[in-house]
Amino acid sequence: MFKTYTFHVSGTHCAACKILIEDILKEQIFVKNVSVDLKKETVEIETESEESAENLAVILTSRLKQNGYTLSVEKLIQENKPNDIIWKATPIGLIFLVLFFLLQKSGLLNVGLDGQTTPITSFIIGLIASVSSCLAIVGGLVLSLSAKISQDNVSDTKTFLIFHAGRLVSFAILGGTLGAIGNAIGVNFTFTAILGIIASLVMILLGLNLIGVFSKNKVVLPAGIFDFFRKIEHKTLTPLSIGFGTFFLPCGFTQSMQVVALGSGSFLSGFLIMLAFALGTLPMLALLSFGSASFAHSTYAPLFFKSAGVVVIGLGLFALLAGLAGLGIINPLFNI
Amino acid sequence: MNKTVSIIIVSALLVVIGIIFTGDKRSEQNVEVKDGIQYITINAQGGYFPQISDAQAGIPTKLIMRTDGAYDCSASLVIRSIGFQKILPQIGETEIDLGIPKAGKPLQGVCGMGMYSFQVRFN
Repeated sequence: MFKTYTFHVSGTHCAACKILIEDILKEQIFVKNVSVDLKKETVEIETESEESAENLAVILTSRLKQNGYTLSVEKLIQENKPNDIIWKATPIGLIFLVLFFLLQKSGLLNVGLDGQTTPITSFIIGLIASVSSCLAIVGGLVLSLSAKISQDNVSDTKTFLIFHAGRLVSFAILGGTLGAIGNAIGVNFTFTAILGIIASLVMILLGLNLIGVFSKNKVVLPAGIFDFFRKIEHKTLTPLSIGFGTFFLPCGFTQSMQVVALGSGSFLSGFLIMLAFALGTLPMLALLSFGSASFAHSTYAPLFFKSAGVVVIGLGLFALLAGLAGLGIINPLFNI
Repeated sequence: MNKTVSIIIVSALLVVIGIIFTGDKRSEQNVEVKDGIQYITINAQGGYFPQISDAQAGIPTKLIMRTDGAYDCSASLVIRSIGFQKILPQIGETEIDLGIPKAGKPLQGVCGMGMYSFQVRFN
């Protein structure tokens, strides 16, 4: 004897949530059939259980809780909740931004390293670079993409591993290439600056998306941009090529190391210098991507996404204004 | 969290960011004239110092960029008005010929990413 119940579900922040909820609920022996309607935020369940609808909602919620979903018979009054979260998330995000800019201003990162650049010094420079203003572009991009991927994609670990591996390999090979060809090519500032501006625009867009400005009938999606993101982020080649692309993003430290690799005179030495530099930046970037993944699958997910959104928009605006000043389009607004 | 509390914290934090961004712009004695040539020295490491220099217009002028272990953005210098674009050596001095600057046309240098800058004013 099957009965059909319809519950209201909250916490569905992504397209993949449908699959996740259905998978978890199908594992329950008394549940025969599940279908999630993301638009209406309802879950329809066919069950042989004799429990009342209220009890079923409690039992099923206990299974879904760790992923941040709640089932209820009555529709929860959700109208206020997202606003509540943004009031918490904005100060949290701004505190991170203040700490970040204070660190830049403190002069702690201006470590003068003398003498020959060896793979060991380039590893240290990588460590410094990963918390420097370069973090505004490279880290901001990694954070926004990671949060976005975690939001849309249940199996994000693989994507992040490919990204970081791709980044290490590209840095090493490109560094080796620079070392082998020597002074044949110059580093084009305008090219990297334009790339940086594109990256900062992506960050602002993803940040607004994380905050939820584009979600649900508030602002209409700019035609298919997020569908495009969703499509490309599921391909193996995408994290690889983004890892490759970070080599060309504007970052003074990366550019200095590229010049060192250029002057190093051989494939092997350029290879080692850029590999050591990329390894130095790895801990911070890995923390950003895997950290967002673990937050994204916890009950703090909504707060995390919105705080991350605030941070990413702040870094994106910083990078955009700096990039425009670097290109000479606007006057430099600040010296950080 | 309470909405009002949040708004107060947010505005306070925005003020802090504003203070960090506008920062100090100390000027110091970094201009000297030797054998009829004006030399302006600017240190590049973790930004450019001093950020604002005052120099004389109408005499041959050279800009000296001094670096000492600079790996950050300040090593990648761009001066658009004279088409200068170069990664400065990690340690050393780079001499840039400015010709004979005209009064009232300040020279603006920025680093490649744009977050550090300096200005030389000619009077």
